[in-house]
Amino acid sequence: MSHLLALTMAAPALAAVVLLAIPGTSRTALRVVSLIGAVISLAGSIWVATLYDRALGGLQLLDTVPLVPSLGIHLKLAVDGWGVALLLLTGVIIVTGVLASWSVAKRDKEFFLLLLVLVSGVYGVFISQDLFIFFLFYEIAVLPMYLLIGIWGSSHKVPSAGPFGFTWKRFEVGSREYAAMKLTLMLLVGSAAILVAMFLLWSNSGARTFDMQVLEATKFPIAVQHVVFPLVWLGFGTLAGVFPFHTWSPDGHASAPTAVSMLHAGVLMKLGAFGVLRIGMVLVPDAAAWWAPIVGAVAVVNVLYGALCAASQKDLKYIVAYSSVSHMGVVMLGIATMNAAGWNGAVYQMVAHGIMTGLFFALVGLVYERAHTRTIAKMGGFAHVMPVVAGFFTLACLSSLGLPGTAGFVAEFMVFAGAAKGASPWWAIPGVLGAFVTAVYVLRACKTIFWGPAPVDEFAHLQDVQRTEWAAPLVLGSLLVVFGFWPKLLLDFIDAASQGYLGRLPIVALAQAVTP
Amino acid sequence: MSPVTLAIVATVAPAVAALLLLVLSPLRHRGAPAAWVTLLGSLVSLGAAVMLLVARLGGAPDARATIPWIEERGRAMAEIGILIDGVSLPMLIIVCLVALCVQVFSIAYMHDEPPRAFGRYFTLHALFLFSMNVVVVSPNLLQLFAGWELVGLTSYLLIGFYFAKPAAAQAAVKAFWMTKLADMGFLFGLLVLYVSTGGFEWTSAPSATVATWVTGLLFLAVVGKSAQFPLHIWLPDAMEGPTPVSALLHAATMVAAGVFLVVRADPLFALAPGTREVMLWVGSITAVFAALLALVQHDIKKVLAFSTCSQLGYMVAALGAGQAFAGFFHLGTHAFFKALLFLAAGSVIHAVHSNSLDDMGGLRKKLPLTTAAFVIGSLSLAGVPGFAGFFSKDLVLTSLEGKASWIPWAMLLGAAFLTAFYMGRLLIKAFWGELSERSSHAHEGNVAMTGPLVVLAIPSLASGFLGGWLATQSSAQYELHLGLTPVLASVMSLAGLGAAILVFRKGGQAPFTHVLEKLDTFSVVDRTWAGAYRIGLLGVASLAGWIDRYLIDGLINFTGWSALEGGSSARRLQTGLVRDYALLVTVGVLVLVLIGVLR
Repeated sequence: MSHLLALTMAAPALAAVVLLAIPGTSRTALRVVSLIGAVISLAGSIWVATLYDRALGGLQLLDTVPLVPSLGIHLKLAVDGWGVALLLLTGVIIVTGVLASWSVAKRDKEFFLLLLVLVSGVYGVFISQDLFIFFLFYEIAVLPMYLLIGIWGSSHKVPSAGPFGFTWKRFEVGSREYAAMKLTLMLLVGSAAILVAMFLLWSNSGARTFDMQVLEATKFPIAVQHVVFPLVWLGFGTLAGVFPFHTWSPDGHASAPTAVSMLHAGVLMKLGAFGVLRIGMVLVPDAAAWWAPIVGAVAVVNVLYGALCAASQKDLKYIVAYSSVSHMGVVMLGIATMNAAGWNGAVYQMVAHGIMTGLFFALVGLVYERAHTRTIAKMGGFAHVMPVVAGFFTLACLSSLGLPGTAGFVAEFMVFAGAAKGASPWWAIPGVLGAFVTAVYVLRACKTIFWGPAPVDEFAHLQDVQRTEWAAPLVLGSLLVVFGFWPKLLLDFIDAASQGYLGRLPIVALAQAVTP
Repeated sequence: MSPVTLAIVATVAPAVAALLLLVLSPLRHRGAPAAWVTLLGSLVSLGAAVMLLVARLGGAPDARATIPWIEERGRAMAEIGILIDGVSLPMLIIVCLVALCVQVFSIAYMHDEPPRAFGRYFTLHALFLFSMNVVVVSPNLLQLFAGWELVGLTSYLLIGFYFAKPAAAQAAVKAFWMTKLADMGFLFGLLVLYVSTGGFEWTSAPSATVATWVTGLLFLAVVGKSAQFPLHIWLPDAMEGPTPVSALLHAATMVAAGVFLVVRADPLFALAPGTREVMLWVGSITAVFAALLALVQHDIKKVLAFSTCSQLGYMVAALGAGQAFAGFFHLGTHAFFKALLFLAAGSVIHAVHSNSLDDMGGLRKKLPLTTAAFVIGSLSLAGVPGFAGFFSKDLVLTSLEGKASWIPWAMLLGAAFLTAFYMGRLLIKAFWGELSERSSHAHEGNVAMTGPLVVLAIPSLASGFLGGWLATQSSAQYELHLGLTPVLASVMSLAGLGAAILVFRKGGQAPFTHVLEKLDTFSVVDRTWAGAYRIGLLGVASLAGWIDRYLIDGLINFTGWSALEGGSSARRLQTGLVRDYALLVTVGVLVLVLIGVLR
């Protein structure tokens, strides 16, 4: 299987092509084809994981097709340990996401089509070893979001207030069109920054190539690095929800339909963090080392500020959305530590948060579909009518607050340990505080929604999980526990990559020499 | 089987039970089978623990085995495993024995619950025993922390077992938050230990400063888990859970995990006299403060809850005095007699369908066995000579002799008097006097209810005599000597009981009841924390939420608005009239020419 990676990446897109040929009226066929595409890509990811030699590490399963040789552009696919972990995450989320969207009624053909195209883009990013292709896939992953939210999203009203209240005249803040537009524009500004950084690397590489391995081996002038790193950090960082460019996320995730929220918070935000790690930290390490204290300081703002914002929300989807801002801060914090524990923790957190937030959004979607409200204060006692949802929601809450025995703990613990061991140990303090605030807001929401006396008549007949809806809670819930008790499953892959890339960082040798 | 295998079996058996019940939901939903699965798991645990004990009595050495859990470059960053020694083995037996008694009792006590709830209850019990065993056998502080958090989770879920009741739901989250707040100390302590030693062992620290930091931070978590002043407020509320849960988690085992942690990490605490000094005072204050509040409670479970706080204060004070063994010994005897008291209270509640002491009275005639159990538990708790509690409490008090300050010693002696006094009050109000309306219909439960009372009554009477053996196991010094302290302690406990008979026999009130009730209902500590939560957390959160929506996102909106408005303005230049464009071109050319000339 020399083209395993290409096949894994292309399977959803091919399924999308098949969808084109199916009439929109045969609804079951549409869903089955989408599911097959998703399952093939998941199976491919698992196969990649079994083929990948963890002891050897580095890039494996190389697959190259020259595209534009004159400009040094090749379709060069290969996977490292980080990529393996994130491929698995993507596969799991898309399969459960398709199953969670079984009941989409409006324009379902186009919905599944866009969803599948988007996922191919995501896979592509994680396995691209050519910067140009990397960027291309990145855009394929990001752009369909505009339509997915703008057409299938939901709207609500946000009252105007504050010094910028006058701008409300121009926008319908809270509407799905607004959310889609804001998300797209903010991410595109980020993309522009990435594009500039990309060409700076290309023109300074000497070899005039986008090949990431060649770029890795290139020692860029420090002045170039200092321009490239912040562009990459903020460009990709916008998608990772880096403060203060995170505000697309709450509105976007709140407006998006279930599967889109799952994919976006579960996987797409990781593209941003992955970009900072893979392009920023690895290609321009000297500037990265200089900027790391700033990246880390902003990351702890993300953690604590995001958690506090989440604690103030009254809308269930906003809580989960802000919790993503907070948890992605943990990822960025891990990245900024520039040591093995921190990087392993960062990538582990990408997976842990992806699964956890996927589970959250799947359950929130379920509740919303039945109760037709997202306002927490209106709900209560739902555990009486939907005990399974209540149970899995609690599990997601526990992983979110970093309870041992869930994946969230392993990830956060490694990040905090990495931070404590790194150049700025104080980062661990707001990090841990953020985890406490998380405990407050998730359990408060959980209590209000699910506990209390039996629900009012309006909600007395809400159904518990049905048929295909079982997939997301069951799969994602078990994975949270499995990865919580048995981190080795993923960590071997992640650590192999971290060690390889860390070897390139002069500063790391220094940091490790200081600590016993 | 080797000791390592036995220890693993003891730890994992309840986990298997819990997993079976979680996965096989029909089994859980049927109710009764769930109880049997859980009981089987606990029985296997206890059996394995007893086999370990037999092996140890036959001269088997300590057993330790670890495997890497989180690896970095093939080297373990964190390990998990088991450690069986003179501290963990007695603890394991206490935990498994009490858990088994409580679970058997629960079969009768929870009998009227619907099958699904019944199944959920026993699933959580299995999960609890697993988590607690993880704490007990852990070979390092990281695993101890993991188990520590998991028992916190089961505590949360079991306090909230009657989740339809808003008070129970509130009590559950309150317990979780208060302990989680304190647990940040544990996590920070672990991080400091990791950075300074590269691992999570409790054996030593590179310097006294590090030890002080680590132990100080760990002690914060102890204050939360073991309900010490001023974080004790969650424990009385936790009585919203089913009574057997209060017996197991919130009296005998889980809340004692804090004490167990300090006993385990004794080598670290030995390097930190500053931390010990703080512990001494916190423990003493809690012991007296909680005993005073126990005096004015009308809910039988709340009397016992405050009593638990108070007794944990004794243990913490002993640890602060540097006598880890005294604290550990009291932990052991307390586990038996307090579990006995709570189960007996459960038997009473089951009989009269009320928690309130005012609904009880004269129960001695209707519930002879429960009364006997309660009296044994009370006398043990009060420290009457000969009962288990006497020996351990005496050791605690003796360990405070000859310290720099005599005040803690005096405080604990006073608390000993109060303990006997409030237990006397409880006994008289519930079991003596006139038969109340509700009491007249009371009758003893079946053997599942009375059996555990009998089993627990034995160690509540006699476990005090095991002190010498227990001491040799953890290589501590222990001998019973007749000095001033034991005599005083005996006098205090008997005086307390006597005073209780004098005051309460005629339905009187304790002195200062009025003041204490004010203190109880106004609850300064509770209000302070509630205020901190509302203002410090929710208030700041609202502010952050507002800033994010209206300032930060407002700026983003403003950017978009500027682009739109700017575009609209610029559009006005685009008039479409040729003469306007001609004018602009002419002006432009003139300006350029002018600039050229002037240069």
